Amino acid sequence: MNSTDQIKLINDTINKTRENLKPLSFNLIFWGLFINVMSIIHYLFPSLIEQTDHSATIYWVGLPLLGMIYMTRWNIKIGKKQGYETIMSRTIRIIWTVFGFGWLLIALSSIRLEFAVAPMILFLLGLVLTMTGMIIKFKPLTIGGMVLFVFVFDVFIDPDQNYLIVNMIGVTLGLLIPGIMLSRMKTNE
Amino acid sequence: MNKELEKLLFNPVRLKILSFLFSVESASFKKLMEVSDATKGNISIQIKKLEEAGCIKIKKKFDNNYPLTSCAITSKGKKSFEIFFQYLKSYEG
Repeated sequence: MNSTDQIKLINDTINKTRENLKPLSFNLIFWGLFINVMSIIHYLFPSLIEQTDHSATIYWVGLPLLGMIYMTRWNIKIGKKQGYETIMSRTIRIIWTVFGFGWLLIALSSIRLEFAVAPMILFLLGLVLTMTGMIIKFKPLTIGGMVLFVFVFDVFIDPDQNYLIVNMIGVTLGLLIPGIMLSRMKTNE
Repeated sequence: MNKELEKLLFNPVRLKILSFLFSVESASFKKLMEVSDATKGNISIQIKKLEEAGCIKIKKKFDNNYPLTSCAITSKGKKSFEIFFQYLKSYEG
C-alpha cells in the first residue's frame, strides 16, 4: 500500500463515523408528548390529581421518574447498538444527565420547601435545550430553549397564571416542535 | 517518524482501528470489527498490539454475563496518528 492508498483508507474509515441525531429527536418528542399529556390530564381532572396535599407532587415526580427510567434504558440500548460514542454525543449525554439530577433535586426540594417548581424546571430546561441546540447547530432547538426563558420571565411577572398552560405551550415550543423537525431533518446517517 | 510507529501503523487493520478511534470517544469491539472488515481473532491481536504500544486503552466489562470490550484512543495514540498522517501527506503525490 502506498501513501495515497493509506490516506484514502484513513479518510474512508473516518467517514464511517456518523453523528446520529435520531435518538435525540426521539427523546425530545417523547418528553414533549409526556409532559403535554400529563399537563392535559392535570388540567382536565384537577380534583383527581390534587386529592391530597402531596398527590400532585407525587404525580409530577413519580411519573416523570418512570419516564426517565424508561428513556435511560432506551438510550443505553441504542448506544450499545450504535457501538461507538462521539465527543458530541458524550457532551449531550452529560448535560442531560446533569439536567436529570437538577430536576430531581428541584422536585424533591419542593416537597419539603413547597415552592412553585414549574418556573425553575422550565428555566433549567431552557438552558439545556439552548446548549444542546448550539452544540448540534440546530436553530429550532436553540430558539425553542430561548422561548422557554421568555415563559419563565412571563411567570415571574405574573405568578398567578396557570402553570399547566405555560407548561404545555413551553414544552410544545421547546421540545415537541424542535424534536419533530429534528427527526424529519436529513442527517448524514 | 520512528520505525516502530511506521511498522505499527503500516498494518491496514491497525491503521483502520486507530483512524476510527481518532474520530470517536470510544468504540465497541463489534464496531471495530465492522469498521475494519477483520475477523474477531485478528481484531483481538491488533488491538492488543496497539495497547502495548500505548496508543489505545482497552476496557472490559460484563453486561448480563456477556463480555463487552470497548476501546478508546490515548493521547499518545492521537499524537502518533497525527505524526503518521503528516508523514503520509509529505509522501503523497
